[in-house]
This record gives sequence, structure tokens and C-alpha cells, in this order.
Amino acid sequence: MADDGTTAGTEDAALAGVLAAEHAAVWGYGVVGAALPVEGRAPAAAGEQAHRDSRDRLAELLDERDADPVPAEGGYQLPFPVLSAVDAAALAVVLEDGTSAAWVALLDAAGDVPVRQLAVDSLGAAEERAVAWRAAAGRTPVTTALPGLAGS
Amino acid sequence: MSASPASPGFPRRRLLTGTAGLALLLAGCTSGGSGAAAEQAAEQTAAQGDRLTAQVPVQEAVVAAYDAAVAADPALGGAVPDLPGQAREQLDRLRAAAPGATASSPSAPPGPPAGTDVRAWLRDQVSAAAAAHAAACVEASGAGSALLGSLAAGLRGHAAALA
Repeated sequence: MADDGTTAGTEDAALAGVLAAEHAAVWGYGVVGAALPVEGRAPAAAGEQAHRDSRDRLAELLDERDADPVPAEGGYQLPFPVLSAVDAAALAVVLEDGTSAAWVALLDAAGDVPVRQLAVDSLGAAEERAVAWRAAAGRTPVTTALPGLAGS
Repeated sequence: MSASPASPGFPRRRLLTGTAGLALLLAGCTSGGSGAAAEQAAEQTAAQGDRLTAQVPVQEAVVAAYDAAVAADPALGGAVPDLPGQAREQLDRLRAAAPGATASSPSAPPGPPAGTDVRAWLRDQVSAAAAAHAAACVEASGAGSALLGSLAAGLRGHAAALA
């Protein structure tokens, strides 16, 4: 049991869920960057690096717990064709919203304070990036009341 | 680069579908198998409720800050029309999850000082509330932690939109 009664297995499963989402985000940001003009790729590169960092930290955490880190897929099916800069921004929104949902699930399952700290920090950073991408995609509103929570 | 959903280069797994549609319910306590376990669970539930209740005034202050900012600078309300409503939605979700929380009449927070940058003042208020919710999230657990973390992230997004 973790320090608040949550089972370690539940927390590990949620960590693996976030890791899977981060793998997908790293892959997806490659598509995002490729669809943007060269001069507009900096936000995509920053987003990709942020997700690489999260992926690596999660893999370390799982390894420390003797849990096998879930590997990346060879590729992923895009939710829609990415043919323009607006499509790229919309895909980045999907990626950030997907990882946000996974981080929230981890908060729900986590028993360890450092894990919750990692989750809430990463969740906030994902929403900040999502705000910028929603604006780039022409979405309104650019914010969400409750990122990662169902029904928000 | 283009890719269609039917591209042969991608496996059948859809991007991130495994993380969508998470149902996080605040009423998801399980009963303990023994008296001691049940007592411990009850204590944890009470502590969880206290943490959520303690954050209600923080969110009430955010709603009040939006009201004060829009009153001081009506153009700001037009520039970010959705944010005040989202702040109220956040407050409603928090009150619904916090046992015993009632709509209170918080002492009127000071509005933006005369001559100040109202948008920057509002951003500071929102950022401070986000930090408070995040700190409470780390100390909470389960669905309460999830809700507080989502609130904190939502307000970080608001601060980004106000930048």
C-alpha cells in the first residue's frame, strides 16, 4: 500500500497509462512539426521536448518500482488528416488533452506525494500548451474549465 | 506530411483513445472490511472533504476577482468572455464535491488598485489561486486530488490566456 492507502499496483497502472499517452504525444508532435512552416515549428519542438522529458521521467519511475515501462507503438493512427498548420494545431490540442486526461487519472490513483506533484505540474503545463494550440487552431474558447476531467 | 486514418503505415490503435473519457467520480469510496479499516476510510474521507471545502473560498475569490476586473475594465470582459463563466463552473464543481460547502458571502476582495494594469492584476489573482489549488491537490488523494489538480490546471490556462 502507498502512504494513503492507495495500492501501488493501481498507481503503477496509472503511471503506465500516462507513459502510453506521452509516447503518443511524442510521436504526434513529430506530425505537428512536419505540418508547420519551418519558421513556426518552435512551439512544436518545445512541446515535443516537454513530452520527451515526461516520458523519460515516467519510465524511470516505473523502472524504480520494478514495473515494466510500456513501450511506444511503432506508429499511431491519426484522428484526422493533418494537411495544414491549422490541422497541426488541432492535433496538438488532441495530444495535450489526451495527456491531461491521463495525468488526471494518475492524480486519482496516486498514493505518493511526489507522484501527485509530478502529475499536477505536468497537467498544468499541458493545459498552458493547449491554450496556445487552441488559439492557433482558431478554437473558442481557448481555455477549459476542468482539463482532463470527464464532462468538463 | 499527410496521413489519413486509413494509412497503412499506422496500426489500428487510435491515437490516445485509451486516455479519453475517464470517469472520475467523487463518491467512489469503498467500504472497509474491518472496523478499523472502515474507521480509517471514514477519517480519510473526512479529511478529503475538509481539503476540498478549504479550497472553496479560494475559488470564490477567483470569481470575485473576475467580477471586479470586468467592472474596472469592461473591455477586458469582451476580450476574454468565457473565463468568468468557466471560473463559476469550477466553483460549482468544487462546491458539489465539498461536503457542507455552501454559497457564502466572502468578504469583498480588494479590486484592482486604481491606475493598475487590470489584466495583469487579474492574472496574478488567478495564478495565486492556481498555486493554492495545486498545493492542496498534492496533499489530497483520489478523486479530490484529481479535481483540485484539474482546477489548478484550468486556472493556469486562464493565466496563460490573460498573458
